[in-house]
Amino acid sequence: MVNIVVIGGGWAGCAAALSARQAGAEVLLLEKTDMLLGLGNVGGIMRNNGRYTAAEEMIGLGMGKLFDITDRAARHSMVEFPGHSHATLYDVTKVEPMVRRLLKEVGVEIRLMARAIDTIKKGNVIKGILMADDTVIEGDVFVETTGSTGPMGNCLKYGNGCSMCILRCPSFGPRISLSQRAGVEDILGQRGDECYGAFSGSCKLNKDSLSEEIREKLNRVGVVVLKVPEEDIRVEKLSVKVCQQYALKEYAENIVLLDTGHAKLMTPFYPLEALRKIPGLENARYEDPYSGGKGNSVRYLSIAPRDNAMKVEGLVNMLCGGEKSGLFVGHTEAITTGSLAGHNSVRLALGMPLLELPRNLVTGDIIAYANERINTKEGLKKRYTFAGAEYFERMKERKMYTIDRQEIERRVSRMDLTDIFSEKLV
Amino acid sequence: MIGKKLECIDAGSEYCPCFLAETNECITCSHLQGKEFCDCNWRGVCIYQEYVWAGNRKKESRSSYPAAVVEKNQVSDNTIVYKLQVTKTLARELDNPGAYVFMKEKEKPGFFDVPMSVMAVDSARGEIYVAVQVRGAKTKALTGSENDIIVRGPYWNGILGQRYLKSVKDGNCLVIARGIGQVPAVMVVRYLSRGNNRVRIIIDPGKIGVVLGNEFIKGLPCEVEELDLNSRQGVKVVNRYLKNENYDLVFSGGSDKQHLHIIQEVDRLENKPFIVVTNNNEICCGEGICGSCSTRIDSGVRVKACKVQLDVRKVIERRILNG
Repeated sequence: MVNIVVIGGGWAGCAAALSARQAGAEVLLLEKTDMLLGLGNVGGIMRNNGRYTAAEEMIGLGMGKLFDITDRAARHSMVEFPGHSHATLYDVTKVEPMVRRLLKEVGVEIRLMARAIDTIKKGNVIKGILMADDTVIEGDVFVETTGSTGPMGNCLKYGNGCSMCILRCPSFGPRISLSQRAGVEDILGQRGDECYGAFSGSCKLNKDSLSEEIREKLNRVGVVVLKVPEEDIRVEKLSVKVCQQYALKEYAENIVLLDTGHAKLMTPFYPLEALRKIPGLENARYEDPYSGGKGNSVRYLSIAPRDNAMKVEGLVNMLCGGEKSGLFVGHTEAITTGSLAGHNSVRLALGMPLLELPRNLVTGDIIAYANERINTKEGLKKRYTFAGAEYFERMKERKMYTIDRQEIERRVSRMDLTDIFSEKLV
Repeated sequence: MIGKKLECIDAGSEYCPCFLAETNECITCSHLQGKEFCDCNWRGVCIYQEYVWAGNRKKESRSSYPAAVVEKNQVSDNTIVYKLQVTKTLARELDNPGAYVFMKEKEKPGFFDVPMSVMAVDSARGEIYVAVQVRGAKTKALTGSENDIIVRGPYWNGILGQRYLKSVKDGNCLVIARGIGQVPAVMVVRYLSRGNNRVRIIIDPGKIGVVLGNEFIKGLPCEVEELDLNSRQGVKVVNRYLKNENYDLVFSGGSDKQHLHIIQEVDRLENKPFIVVTNNNEICCGEGICGSCSTRIDSGVRVKACKVQLDVRKVIERRILNG
């Protein structure tokens, strides 16, 4: 029997738990809050630009179950908005229970409100995870997907203070970097001005607080673009946000709203008074973060050095995924890295060679590319996503971007990797 | 990188952040230890946030209050029980196991402040009960005068293992108290009773030669027994109870030697109860500043025992067994 412990129940952790379970391991998933998916509860954008290619690759590799959920929970598909094509917008109010049910069905043990605070080590081997209630959880291999966002002190020092985001640190306690606790120093992302961290890139407005016209259009087409009054345009704000795929001039001059159940506002934060000057938003109020008029969560403050098989350097039996594993943005990127980490955790426990995804798949290439770039000064200021900025450009240049499903299926099968993540190893 | 995980008794209280935050010596918060990123021993609030919102300053410190002596009873040769009139707020804040105040005679300078455990409080009337064993210059100056007393507080770290006290409900508990160690035991018994625990109390009058606090535990569901804990018979009885009664929690009020004896006996048991003890460190300022309570724990880390809920075993073993 192989016991895998996944710490952190965001998209990366859920993907890791699912892929480890599909490989035949006993899997325990620990999550500090009372909900899975973490920031996935307030995200929702899938399949935009190169994410379409990546999603189809992951489906070909055997992780179709999660994409099936995000597709089924979609409020809109094939949406176009500035700089982005063929996006799917999942309904954030539906997706978490669906993922939770799936994981339970396949036999992942989920422990909620379980906060990990330290590792127990023997040499470079992790023996167990110390929990906030002083209990110890043992396992063969550990996958850290605790993310890189917050906690409160960091959001204050590197941002505008706690903005009461979905992670709810005051209620559930802070994120702890377990790899750092185990003696492996974190890598820190920077923003344009070389300050550490970056703001989360969007906030959500309560849809019922918007004008009927906007609400109706959101429900119908999924996107509404509104002009920002001349005096409120702040192009410089773009450099502080994590989502460089949305750091376009259009996003400074316009308010871009997407319908994800809430009205997703594609800017890190926006003073409420200023927001309410825009026709149709006179009564607007924030849904997430609650204090979106003031700030947003600060991210990329805790990245573990890792190899391209997702194993944390310097530790024998810890892997990582999601933002913990690099300067990645987005659910698709979290699922990609998490899936590989989960799969390799089982290989590691069995003494098998670890899998590296080939670089002629975009999923393999982004993992390797982000790892190369994180070692450079410039690279620390960039974010890596299939959806835009530097990496999407690279995808296009290398002719890897396509939405031709058959072509993507062919690419995966040519590598002899079809359904590798759903193959039982134990 | 495993940081020391110290639990500050004041974390999150209205006196937090304190002087230690201003000097980058905070027990809990990594930012307020001069580090760059969050890595705290979370106590339910972000101390850094509190600090920044207070204008990068500590919160208002504890105050000193003149306290009228309502009653002063010489209960034995060397022991005096005071009933003091304080504010209702202070009395309420002191209604907690491990609560103590600093006391001095009104005219004396600050270094006459002596820490005293609170035995009981009447928060409706704003009165507190304190027992003083006369031992040295400070207690003599205090008890020798009929003047008003200056009280500084509230402080809470008079008992180590407080989270265990708070976690045991509907359980079976043993309270062992000797000499002046009976004073904090009163609040412990009352607290455990509130949690619907059965409590057996073993009292040894010890050096103060008197049983204290009977009136405060009257009517509570507990059995009281008087014993000489230093006699062979006394030791035998305690050991027998520990062995046969399957306790969830044992409280020791008394010397480090008494604590050690109980820890050693407990270690022989199969079901190990939680151990809660009186904090016997020499406390002088109560604010983590003066250094008199500084205690070394493993790997040479120095800890301010007036503020930190120390691991009982580590402290006692180090101090008694390793010198």
